[in-house]
Amino acid sequence: MAMTMNGEAVLPAPRETVWAKLNDPEVLKACIPGCQSLELASPTEFAAVAKVKVGPVSATFKGRVHLLDLDPPNGYRIQGEGEGGVAGFAKGGANVRLEEVPEGTKLVYDVEAQIGGKLAQLGGRLINGVAKKMADEFFGNFAKAVGSENAAA
Amino acid sequence: MTTVTMTVNGKSVTANVDPRTLLAQFVRENLRLTGTHVGCDTSQCGACVVHVDGRAVKSCTVLAVSCDGASVTTIEGLANGAELHPMQAAFREHHGLQCGFCTPGMIMSAVDIVNRKGHDLDEHTIREELEGNICRCTGYHNIVKAVEAGAKAMGGTVAAGIAAE
Amino acid sequence: MTATGIGAPVRRREDFRFITGQGRYTDDIERPGQTYAYFLRSPHAHAAIRSIDAAAARATPGVLAVLTGDDLAADGVGGLICGWMIHSKDGTPMKAGAHPALAQGKVRYVGDHVAVVVAETLAIAKDAAEKIVVDYQVLAPVVDMNAAVKKGAPVIHDVAPDNVVYDWHLGDKAAADAAFAKAKHVTKIDLVNNRLVPNPMETRAAIGEYDGGSESFTLYTTSQNPHVARLVLSAFIGIAPEHKLRVIAPDVGGGFGSKIFIYAEETVCVWAAKKVGRPVKWTSDRTEAFLSDAHGRDHITHAELALDDKGRMLGLRVKTKANLGAYLSTFSSCVPTYLYAPLLSGQYDIPAIYCEVEGVYTNTAPVDAYRGAGRPEATFVVERIVEVAAREIGQDPAAFRKKNFIRKFPHQTPVIMAYDTGDYAASLDKALELIDYKNIGRRKRESARKGKMRGIGFSAYIEACGIAPSAAVGSLGAGVGLWESAEVRVNPVGTVEVLTGSHSHGQGHETTFAQLVCDRLGIPIDQVSIVHGDTDKVQFGMGTYGSRSGAVGMSAIAKALDKVIAKGKKVAAYALEASEADIEFKDGRFGVAGTDKSLAFGEVALQAYIAHKFSGQDLEPGLKEGAFYDPTNFTFPSGVHVCEVEIDPDTGVTRVDRWVAVDDFGVIINPMIVEGQVHGGIAQGVGQALLEGAHYDASGQLVTASYMDYCMPRADDLPSFKVDHTTTPCPSNPLGIKGCGEAGAIAAPPAVINAITDALGHEDVTMPATPQVVWRAARKAAFRTAAE
Repeated sequence: MAMTMNGEAVLPAPRETVWAKLNDPEVLKACIPGCQSLELASPTEFAAVAKVKVGPVSATFKGRVHLLDLDPPNGYRIQGEGEGGVAGFAKGGANVRLEEVPEGTKLVYDVEAQIGGKLAQLGGRLINGVAKKMADEFFGNFAKAVGSENAAA
Repeated sequence: MTTVTMTVNGKSVTANVDPRTLLAQFVRENLRLTGTHVGCDTSQCGACVVHVDGRAVKSCTVLAVSCDGASVTTIEGLANGAELHPMQAAFREHHGLQCGFCTPGMIMSAVDIVNRKGHDLDEHTIREELEGNICRCTGYHNIVKAVEAGAKAMGGTVAAGIAAE
Repeated sequence: MTATGIGAPVRRREDFRFITGQGRYTDDIERPGQTYAYFLRSPHAHAAIRSIDAAAARATPGVLAVLTGDDLAADGVGGLICGWMIHSKDGTPMKAGAHPALAQGKVRYVGDHVAVVVAETLAIAKDAAEKIVVDYQVLAPVVDMNAAVKKGAPVIHDVAPDNVVYDWHLGDKAAADAAFAKAKHVTKIDLVNNRLVPNPMETRAAIGEYDGGSESFTLYTTSQNPHVARLVLSAFIGIAPEHKLRVIAPDVGGGFGSKIFIYAEETVCVWAAKKVGRPVKWTSDRTEAFLSDAHGRDHITHAELALDDKGRMLGLRVKTKANLGAYLSTFSSCVPTYLYAPLLSGQYDIPAIYCEVEGVYTNTAPVDAYRGAGRPEATFVVERIVEVAAREIGQDPAAFRKKNFIRKFPHQTPVIMAYDTGDYAASLDKALELIDYKNIGRRKRESARKGKMRGIGFSAYIEACGIAPSAAVGSLGAGVGLWESAEVRVNPVGTVEVLTGSHSHGQGHETTFAQLVCDRLGIPIDQVSIVHGDTDKVQFGMGTYGSRSGAVGMSAIAKALDKVIAKGKKVAAYALEASEADIEFKDGRFGVAGTDKSLAFGEVALQAYIAHKFSGQDLEPGLKEGAFYDPTNFTFPSGVHVCEVEIDPDTGVTRVDRWVAVDDFGVIINPMIVEGQVHGGIAQGVGQALLEGAHYDASGQLVTASYMDYCMPRADDLPSFKVDHTTTPCPSNPLGIKGCGEAGAIAAPPAVINAITDALGHEDVTMPATPQVVWRAARKAAFRTAAE
């Protein structure tokens, strides 16, 4: 089943810093909720393992993440797919754009994803809420990551 | 493993269980009381209803360990020996069952409705109160009649009805 | 009528064990050394399997085996079958894609079986399944029937490159076209018959067991027809020869068709039991049931009815697409063909009918028989188009129906069926009286004063039951005969065991079948037991579906009882030292005509076994007779259901306010049980009309896979029903029974939709008519009224 979500976050850091962090696997690993490992396979490809819980379904997703349409420092498309065993699968992507604003950088995202298997059967009605919560959590973490870096610099 | 002790149908039982064991699993698998049925995974169907300390619960949504020290009544504990509980007798008399799978949960819910709402139940109340129990066979018509009659009969045997708890 | 004989509302003898928690369903059974199976299912609607890595799962402590389609193939286990051959218009056979019990190279729907883990506990099996890595190459899925038959659509089975299973037809096209050419009025409608999930409250379960010493298998399973399961598992899937496979279907918690079929899971449990050397148990959870039980209905139909200037029906043309899912289930092919089109004449005298049906593969669960099977779909077409036609030409829908009813019997329809008997007007008249039709205008005005919209809807249905004459269905493509068998064993003390090939999963056979025995043998009901559901006890049988247990199963028992009485007369003649011709059997006693000499049934039974009064040369000892009964025609239950709804236009909520059912089931054995069958059928039909719908999204994910999202009828969705009867005994079987199990589900959906469309004043309402659908339709009605 399909899921879409969009939103924006204002980050207290210059656009170049935000761009760099968006491409840093260590930062991403620390910010993605439930992320257990994120390894660089190539400069634009990661192997990821993340533990996700949607309502009654919890699963460890293993998958690959690709960075496409790189346009530094304006944005990229991040795309991935993961298999969660008996819980099902998730795949999808997000377009991310960075804009300079007085407070720092505005990050605008636009996500579309497909989920399948038990996730869709039992978690389907919850998936939008869970995705929104995870996005909020990610950007909260990410804002902290870029904020602390910026402060240290 | 965790030790759990409870009274089931008047008998004290103690068992070592995996902490994630559900009450429904516990009565079915550990105690081999298979009258309590599991008809769904989402606490919607009510086939698993038992009484815990006199109140109806869906035993598929309760951990066995959370019932430590509790008094549990399953469908097997409702009759007084060979003498049927009035609600059981009413289900038979009014043809309130066909395949029999939802029946234990229906009867346990029905007894609970009477305990909460009294002996004089109208059709509207019965239908609303049975909202948590699904039957696929009867179209509910005869279940409603059975509950109404069973409730009245329980009024005549209040002592027996409460004592069964 | 005696207190326990035919026609008496005997309280059910099976109830005691169910109301005291002593029913014994498959999941209640625990076999020594039992292990647990868990099926890894496809999360994708359509994908090629590149590889399956099960090493980590196999290495998990407590895991006995992880088996895949390759293992099945290596052991030479055959695929699941579809037992009814349908030929397309051009004479080509239907295109049946291979259906392995575990996927071999490809998965075709979400829930398709990829691998099975057998372990010491279910928890271990589930945990190990998490460790299986399946490398899928995801393929584009196709879920929608219209999309599936378009050029360039994803191909589900190579044997059917256009995803068409068959392109079938029935009737005389030229005659139908000629009828339309001379029509004064033509009514046209487009309908969707929504996809349903049967949902018996007991999910499917199986325990397979292998005994190495005798090289024999036992399968405990939730089946409506254990003998058919044994036949298919033996003769087609090749698990074991028939004499080495025992199938037991103990108490079964409802079926509604979904437990007729031979599925992957029970096949795998039997096979795996030998591989691991221990019993293997599988119990479906509810979401698995939604994913992998065969679904029902799912038709798209265009229909046209031709009328003359007086409103008489001249012809009917119907074009249907039927979704058969990703594989052909056991009887799937006949449901939208021979169980559907032959019923399109309804209760009406329609001189010409032509029907075309395209069976289509999609990436969804297999679709097969669900309560009514084909006949509810036909009735929905007929009773909707008849209602719309009456409204279009401005005639009262009841009077319009009555004018077009068949009145002379037997009646040969243009679509195979020869109706034997009926009195359709009698049912309609009684129904109109019970619903108080003459005051409907007043009730509508009263509702309107409260801001509500009231509507009344009719459904005059017919069904073909008592399935079925073997030679006739054989000529239509059935792979088996549809007789029934029975054995009556009289014990030396005069008690009777009846072994029947019918199977009870809620129908109450232990009561109704015993009533027949009491009636015929004149013995108390507590001296009769009914045995069913075990292929080692009951020699043969075809099971219970298609409202056949009374008309076919009981007819077999009646035949065997006749033989018992005939043999009893011979025994009594020796015992009473009289001529056999002078022996009469009446009220449970064998007597010599014109004398007061007689013996009770039990005394004759004893004489038959002690065998002191006759020589073995003259008469075989014993009193045990068997019979096969093969029907000579279908039976044709019919009736009229009337539904009255009240709609709240502000919320779209439809409340079923009144329901009247007047059915003609022929002779009724137990009115209490028959009424219960009608109630349950109506509830399922109302469920289809108002609440239920299985929905796949465009990617092939089943998004209604639990009771959170699939709306089952609950007690407060339904009213109490007024159920009555008219009776024309069935002439084709010895008991006059027509059958009652499916009537409600067949009759109800058009009655509800006719009532809603009557209330709204337009026809644009689809099933399920949820509050959302009805609210929109009510808005449309309001705009229309405003525009006028």
